[in-house]
Amino acid sequence: MKKALMMLLVALLVVGLFVGCKPQEKPVEKVKIALILPSGRDDMAWSQGMYEGVMDVQKELGIDKIEVSVTENMPNPVDAGAALRDYANKGYNIIIAHGAQYQNPVFEVAKEFPLISFAYGTAFETGDNIFTYDPQAQDGAYLFGMLAAKLTKTKIVGIVGPVKAGDAIKYNYGFIQGVNATDTSIKVLESYTGSFGDTVKAKEMAIAHIEAGADILTGTAQQSVGAIQAVSERHVYWFSSDMDQSSLAPDSIIASQAYYWKDVVVYMIDSRNKGKLGGETIVLDFGNGRIKLVFNPKLKNLITPEIEKLFNDTFEKIKNGEIKVKLPE
Amino acid sequence: MIGEFSKSGVIIGLLSSGVRLSTPFLLASIGEMFSQRSGVYNLGVEGIMNLGAFISFFIALKTSNPYFGIFVTILIGLVMGLVTAFINVTMKAEQGISGIGIYFFGYGLSGLLFRLTLGSIVTTSGFEPLSIPILSKLPFIGEVFFNQNWMVYLALLLVPISYIILFRTTFGLKVRAVGENPHAADTLGVSVAKIRYICIVIGVVLAALAGSFLTIGQIEATFVDNIAAGRGFIAIALVYFGRWRPSGILWGSFLFSFIDALQLRIQVLGTKIPYEYAVMTPYVITILVLSFLAGRAKGPSALGKPFEREST
Repeated sequence: MKKALMMLLVALLVVGLFVGCKPQEKPVEKVKIALILPSGRDDMAWSQGMYEGVMDVQKELGIDKIEVSVTENMPNPVDAGAALRDYANKGYNIIIAHGAQYQNPVFEVAKEFPLISFAYGTAFETGDNIFTYDPQAQDGAYLFGMLAAKLTKTKIVGIVGPVKAGDAIKYNYGFIQGVNATDTSIKVLESYTGSFGDTVKAKEMAIAHIEAGADILTGTAQQSVGAIQAVSERHVYWFSSDMDQSSLAPDSIIASQAYYWKDVVVYMIDSRNKGKLGGETIVLDFGNGRIKLVFNPKLKNLITPEIEKLFNDTFEKIKNGEIKVKLPE
Repeated sequence: MIGEFSKSGVIIGLLSSGVRLSTPFLLASIGEMFSQRSGVYNLGVEGIMNLGAFISFFIALKTSNPYFGIFVTILIGLVMGLVTAFINVTMKAEQGISGIGIYFFGYGLSGLLFRLTLGSIVTTSGFEPLSIPILSKLPFIGEVFFNQNWMVYLALLLVPISYIILFRTTFGLKVRAVGENPHAADTLGVSVAKIRYICIVIGVVLAALAGSFLTIGQIEATFVDNIAAGRGFIAIALVYFGRWRPSGILWGSFLFSFIDALQLRIQVLGTKIPYEYAVMTPYVITILVLSFLAGRAKGPSALGKPFEREST
């Protein structure tokens, strides 16, 4: 009896073995992308830009080819580290931690998962399986500074900065250079709220700029939504960064510097297919079309032919390297 | 730079900004003061503010009428207040824990509803400033205090009103008695539970209105995730700063907000001070003032202790 049972069990196992090995169709090469964002995917700024880029990749390559998972509101790098490890354990192929603050956790986790590609930025420090990306925020900012210098009537322009780090420093530095290169008599006010997300504070800060005489403002990060409320209430102008924000204040936003992350994500997928898992800084600039300046059609009349010519000339000069916008040391 | 500051326009701008920044603190802190005076602290203020900010914005956007937004926010505040009171008074929860629960609930729900209903940042019209006749023409003070929107006036008026309620009415006496010695109050026939329910509801409704100010209390209203950005927690700290008195809360809110408005302007006018120090100043000075005033008063004796009739 016992023997018969044993035989049956063995037979079952053997059959099971074959069942398990039944001819399978070749599995679809699915790229699994995980995205970790410091704020919400609908912040109308930094995070939303990247989120839309990744979703566009999925739309283009097909939902059967690209799988996307998103973790939002992770301003704290330690929490983000836990999310990174979680995604790595789940076998994601590309894990993007969208912020400069994630450098340490990315390096820590990337060491343990050499076959997974990691990416973070704005940054330069790469690893074998770590990409970084580096939007040349200063280029568009320079052009905006130039336009602001041409358009200001009070001869005072202002920068409502978030935290003096990463993208914001580069952008603000470029903007100031643009103003100074155009008209040295114009004063640039520069200040920081100390927060990426406190829109109410950013609004009060923008009001302080306007009361100090500034009639054209600019700024970065999701807090800028608050500053845009202030320029809209007080009828002055604004230059946006990160993405096209003109819907927030159609009568105030002259132009936006928009990042196109789709191409960056596609680049990473292609690199992986060629066997390169990281080790490269992916640049976003005018030359490769990953940064575009989007003008608000409603305020296009502000740009006179003379200003437009200056803009186009300078744009070309930046694109071909004739003007090199400096970065802070 | 001193010269720039002496211009009256700059000072008026500074003070107006301070009054605007202090409004959400005043509303939320005075509400929290009632709650704590009755013996219950609610750490969920931040979450309620976020929820109130969203609800009022959403209703204002959909109806194009910010007053509807306020109306619905008050209703939601009532419901949330009753829930909070039920947890803390009827269920006798550990108040520190339940407060954090309410915070996460409000914060999470506001973000979730925002995503489900709007999905992106949009703007609508909030309340316009309401100049008070005659008073707004007063030099200096008129521009600072009487050229704001009605929510600012409400917040400022709440200071004397809450003082009168707390110290000049029978209800206020009961509130203080319940917070100091609930057993004695109970013996005298005061319903501890009823008083605490009322005070908690007042606190939550005012916290929700504080949130409304962040969205539709602006001419150009918008909502972003986590718009309260820590203001609810500062409001709780200001109740301690103000020694559970409306006047103390007023000075605390003003001190913090005026220094905040000042540091924004110091940065804008351009100094060599690193911005990190500027951003820190309101917190540092508030803590300094608090530590110098420490020990002068203590909070309600029964604060944080659920009421048990049988206990000895």
